Amino acid sequence: MSHAGLRMSTNEKEFIVAAIREEQRIDGRTPFDYRRLQIKFLKEDGSVEVQLGQTRVLAVVKGEITQPYPDRGNEGSLAIFTEFSPMGDPAFEPGRPSEMAVELGRIIDRGLRESRAVDTESLCILSGRSVWSIRVDIHILDNYGNLVDAANLAALAALLSYRRPECTVGGDDGQQIIVHPPEVREPVGLIIHHLPIAVTFAFFGDGNFQVLDPNLKEEEVMGGRITITINSQGEICAVQKGGGVGVSASEVMRCLRIAAAKAQSMTETLKKAVEIHEIERAQRKIRRHPNLQNQIDTASSVPNPIKKIEVEMEETSEDIEPKQALDTERGIKDLSMSDSSRMKSTETEVAETLTEKPSRAGGRDLFAGGESAWGDDVKLTPLKGSPGTRSTLFPLDSDALVEFDVAARAVLRGGVSSQRMSSKLVSEPLQRQISDQIAAAAVYANQTSPLISEDARPLGPIFPRVGDMDSTEESDAALETKSVSQPEGTPVNFYFSGKKKPKKRGGSGRQD
Amino acid sequence: MKVEGTDDGAVAAAGVGPTGVSPFVSKVLAPGDIVLDLNSTNKVLRVGSGLRQDGDSILATKAGKLRFQKQSNKYWVEGSQKRYIPNVEDTVVGIMVDRRSEMFILDIGGPAFGSLPILAFEGATRRNIPNLQIGAAVYARVVNAHRDSDPELSCTDAAGKSAGFGPLKGGFIFDCSTGLARGLLSKPTPPVLEVLGKSLSFEIAVGLNGRVWVNAPKVATIITVSNAIQNAEFLSPTQQHIMVKKLLEDSQ
Repeated sequence: MSHAGLRMSTNEKEFIVAAIREEQRIDGRTPFDYRRLQIKFLKEDGSVEVQLGQTRVLAVVKGEITQPYPDRGNEGSLAIFTEFSPMGDPAFEPGRPSEMAVELGRIIDRGLRESRAVDTESLCILSGRSVWSIRVDIHILDNYGNLVDAANLAALAALLSYRRPECTVGGDDGQQIIVHPPEVREPVGLIIHHLPIAVTFAFFGDGNFQVLDPNLKEEEVMGGRITITINSQGEICAVQKGGGVGVSASEVMRCLRIAAAKAQSMTETLKKAVEIHEIERAQRKIRRHPNLQNQIDTASSVPNPIKKIEVEMEETSEDIEPKQALDTERGIKDLSMSDSSRMKSTETEVAETLTEKPSRAGGRDLFAGGESAWGDDVKLTPLKGSPGTRSTLFPLDSDALVEFDVAARAVLRGGVSSQRMSSKLVSEPLQRQISDQIAAAAVYANQTSPLISEDARPLGPIFPRVGDMDSTEESDAALETKSVSQPEGTPVNFYFSGKKKPKKRGGSGRQD
Repeated sequence: MKVEGTDDGAVAAAGVGPTGVSPFVSKVLAPGDIVLDLNSTNKVLRVGSGLRQDGDSILATKAGKLRFQKQSNKYWVEGSQKRYIPNVEDTVVGIMVDRRSEMFILDIGGPAFGSLPILAFEGATRRNIPNLQIGAAVYARVVNAHRDSDPELSCTDAAGKSAGFGPLKGGFIFDCSTGLARGLLSKPTPPVLEVLGKSLSFEIAVGLNGRVWVNAPKVATIITVSNAIQNAEFLSPTQQHIMVKKLLEDSQ
């Protein structure tokens, strides 16, 4: 084995060309065969390792909140970086990127960014002020030919599996950005319109012999190459032919047709791999009740992973349904629905939440949260942009406390539908807040024992640190552990009299 | 009186077998294992690759199996790796990288390039120098391979005859591990070569530096043979049979 790059004898070089003239390749492939492809999703969202034959590439996607470009105030940005460390090939030198490295980065950049495969407008948080800036780092782990195709696939798979934290705009002036940690709100994926697949051909002889997916030895001998970035709808995103032997137009057309077919099958493979990964990820986040676990264990002996997951979903939906803890499983907004519609939508919602989001399954005793995929060392401070966009915490508000108590008591007393209550008297901007809080109160009311006397001050809530009332776990935890006592005489008739004007509230308003 | 050894490290206590040979022949050793205690034998030994003398004992420095040859009283350790370390009397496939006035410089895959004197061919004289180009493949023998100097090669055997050495024309060269190369040269013939030889006609030159040269009249044959050999490294004999049969069927 040579240690200083590839050493090829003239015997080998002549043989490779002679074989290709006879439509044979040294590893036994036909001229238009891809090598074996393996896509491996790593533990962190947005990290993927792709193996194409012996070529291995790692892609990692990260997101950061930054200021947008001045002429594109409402668009986020996407940037591709490549790393050609000497680990991948003795011929790679550390330091300045070689011509090949720059070319590879440029081809992938053109295919992904300039074809608008990734939707950048959805990355905008505050127009002109804050946007998400997505960065894709591609590391070459092992070079055995055709880095472009492998790196492009890795970048695509990484973008498909990446999840960025969800953020909302709020604060006093409606200009502050709150970045929600993954435990509070499920991170959200990028919007990707289409999948541009890079397909590389190598030319031999006078350009009249082409092979697909050249390996390292074939690359050493080839006369020229062409990379076609095309998606499964047959739309050509980019074509790169840099130097090398001249090729006739009909040969190029032939390559384009073959590339279109290959892109379709490659897209299928990629989508399937991503789907399997999604299911595995959702599965990992659900922690099941011990009784359920037994049933699932018996089911998990089924070899096909996808089938297994379907079986589990059916089981859990049946089991969770009768439990009272249904309320906490869905979003708060659903609680304002009437009871009948509640039950109907249960099954679909359970299935939905199990497939698409991790379900906050069951009550607090059923779900204690799985392992956070973000790990302990994730700090939210890097996610914040300039000082002007720092997220704020909701201050504890006595008004909020009062209203919550009132609402809780009202629900307990009369079982009043929360929606009716809120729509009557309260002005629009406050309505949503109140309905949210009432919904939380309903949860609280249903959760705690019915022995609450009206005179005794019920347990006051301690609002979660990040002002997010949608997180039922937080409210549940808060409600049952802390108690706050307040004097009786605070204004109480807010909801029922209609004579008093709605109070102006400072500090905890949320922008609509 | 022979004391039974308890573990590999306690050779000194184990002593040697009745014939004075190390009890670890054909056993797997790790670096640092003591192979032989020199006090217990008064014969003259030859210490080969992978072994080192440390005072009164001989230690293994490589991982592999211990081998012993009675005729020359030589011990050495055989391991399989991708990096080749030149040893005397190895036959290697080299690729020419440079031409000096008195010698050809060949890449034999080791830490240093080997030098092949221009007269080290059968029937070579000053007037009649073999015409080798850069990139040519040469089958040669290692004459001198000291740890601290560049290896020297020769294209003749000890008697000055060519014996198959010299430039290799045509064909294809592929890389493999040193263990596989040794396996291909061992007796009995490995099953992969046997089965291939029954249905195909080809010739190979195996370099102990992990390079194998294959030649055959048809391109398809060369491809089949090279892939079959590369696949056969970790297969048992039966598996090799099956693998080769399948390859031959597919290529038909």
